[in-house]
Amino acid sequence: MNIQYITPFIQAAQEAILQLFALETKALTPYLVKKDETLDWDISAIIGIAGEARGLVVLSFPSGLAQELTGILRGAAKTAIDDDVVDTVGEVVNIIAGNAKKGLEQFRLLISLPSIVQGPRHQVLWPSGPVPIITIPFSTSRGHFSLSVGLEDLITL
Amino acid sequence: MRILIVDDSRIMRNIVKNTLKALNLVNETFLEAADGQEAWSILESQEVSLLFLDWNMPNLNGLELVKRLRATAKFQSLPIIMVTSEAAKYNVIEAVKAGVSDYLVKPVTQRGLEEKLRRVLQRGSQ
Repeated sequence: MNIQYITPFIQAAQEAILQLFALETKALTPYLVKKDETLDWDISAIIGIAGEARGLVVLSFPSGLAQELTGILRGAAKTAIDDDVVDTVGEVVNIIAGNAKKGLEQFRLLISLPSIVQGPRHQVLWPSGPVPIITIPFSTSRGHFSLSVGLEDLITL
Repeated sequence: MRILIVDDSRIMRNIVKNTLKALNLVNETFLEAADGQEAWSILESQEVSLLFLDWNMPNLNGLELVKRLRATAKFQSLPIIMVTSEAAKYNVIEAVKAGVSDYLVKPVTQRGLEEKLRRVLQRGSQ
């Protein structure tokens, strides 16, 4: 499996969470997911990648952690997934995807605006084709979240 | 000083505004816009002395707004600090070619914002 191009996303995620929320993260063992798999999370932010590689970057949180992180930025506790939580999760995936481009400068990549999917056990529609989807779980002192990446031609089995 | 902060994320606009306030810019007037089109409307109708501008936004993105501003005589010397997640060198080069005064990669830190602000204001006073 060629997953060297995953590293810039892992580094960007850890740096973003540390800078934005002063929260240390530990990247756990990455694993392959099936395209039709439902996600065991409450909210996901999705960024499309185009240019010299095509794919998706998906950042997923349980509602409690998403609300807690939003509370840190807003300075007020959140008790439900509202516009601020959606805004925060979208901005975090935007920062991760944009910052990861620095580690992938040999490819000219374009990133889309983030989209949000929410609801218990939601599903992400990945592009068709033989692109493997790698999920990297992260642990923090406040809970777990995950980052999934599928990049045509760059990440191969 | 009238400062316009343009970002489609309200959370990010607040972070930039609060970071600027923490740098003692408490007596400034802060204006906000959620995309380039809204920013253009504000810039056409109100005096703005400094612009903080995101890149990836709906309607009119930050890069397109910079090009439009630099092609308009009255905005040719408006200080523009691009604040974006776009961290690749080719993005920085593209933004500088389009006419941004400086470039800051998100996540925003107080130190990073202060450094860019000082540099842009110094250049403006020379």
